[in-house]
Amino acid sequence: MGNSIITKEEIMTVYPKAAAAMADALGCDAEKVKLDSSLIDDLGAESIDFLDIVFRLERAFKVKIPRGRIVEEARGDLSEAEFSKGGVVTDAGVERLRAYLSEVPAERFPAPLKVADIPRLFTSETFCKMVIRQQRAAAAAGGTQPV
Amino acid sequence: MSEHFRAFSFVDRIHSIQPGARIRGSYTIPPSLPDFPPSLVAEAVGQLAAWAAMAAVDFQCRPVAGIAAEIHLLSPVRPGQLLELAADLESVDNEAVSYDGTAHADGVPVIRLQHCVGPMLPLETFDDPQKLRDRFALLQAAGATPGAFGGLPPLPLLIHSSDAIGQTLRATLHVPPSAPFFGDHFPRRPAFPGALLMKSNLELAASLAEHLPQPATGGKWVPQAASDMKLRSFTLPGETLEMKASLSRISSNEAIINVETRKGAQLAGSVRVLLSAEEKP
Repeated sequence: MGNSIITKEEIMTVYPKAAAAMADALGCDAEKVKLDSSLIDDLGAESIDFLDIVFRLERAFKVKIPRGRIVEEARGDLSEAEFSKGGVVTDAGVERLRAYLSEVPAERFPAPLKVADIPRLFTSETFCKMVIRQQRAAAAAGGTQPV
Repeated sequence: MSEHFRAFSFVDRIHSIQPGARIRGSYTIPPSLPDFPPSLVAEAVGQLAAWAAMAAVDFQCRPVAGIAAEIHLLSPVRPGQLLELAADLESVDNEAVSYDGTAHADGVPVIRLQHCVGPMLPLETFDDPQKLRDRFALLQAAGATPGAFGGLPPLPLLIHSSDAIGQTLRATLHVPPSAPFFGDHFPRRPAFPGALLMKSNLELAASLAEHLPQPATGGKWVPQAASDMKLRSFTLPGETLEMKASLSRISSNEAIINVETRKGAQLAGSVRVLLSAEEKP
């Protein structure tokens, strides 16, 4: 699926419905869910909330969102050993993550970055892009993905 | 006698299963019980779904209670009734199971669960995988002998006097340090069942509802559904839970009460309870 360009226009098309789903999952007003809000650091999301958000997005957009795929897709053709060592993301891995999570400001990437802390980087826009990628995949497959 | 598969197990038989897709089963409510609360009916449906989920991943993982978008409390059940249980899995993998489910008694729908999600965790931390495989085989074959569940121990909710009568109500639940259900939920990792937390949440919401303006029908406020239920952490034997019920909205025939449960400062769970006006008898 790669990381072909996702336009701001595409993001803003899905953002209102995605923000509503995230707000419902987090029990907050939709206005609090800004595009650049970190789900964990700004909105207090926990692991159960990530599951809730993904399933709500699947229902809202009628797509299937493979869980745990962000790191795998960001890694691309890097092997797991090239991407991280001892639970810490390598320089090459960080470079791949920065490119894939282009919506995340560079200053939010801590050095060193632990693999376990990668979800702290995710913003609302990250999930919008997740939805768009799956919509594109469904379109390429010739129809709506079965949920 | 071991409490395993006795003290908190609510599936007697599995009638049919399509791996990863659907499962049908049943449970006979022991006739000797004084009652069988709706939270345990919901638990029975969840347990049926759990069997399907565990089988789908070859008993490597088991689901725990996590999220229920909607639980419709359609009709009460009576001891002695046979619950016909059904669960349809939207998806299942080593990370989570999502499902919908229903229970019927004497052909009458008694509960409907929608958009439930259970995080999947390594099964061996909770139970012996081989014992679960054996139990699964038994449930599909002759079935378990009904009547093993002996009821719940008292779980008194200590309700505090409110300084905002009809608006908020607080309560404390001291989870017992030991109880039969811990031997079954779960043998290797005892945890206070989410269904019993739901039971206490519904009781607190009903208590707050007693202080609401009487509905237009002249009857009582009755819980009709629970929505956006989320469990965020395990509650261990002996822990203390603080609950707060808050009136969110009220009209002439409908009221919504939010209930939050905390362990210290940590939010352990939350649920929204919809109450509707019962007709005056």
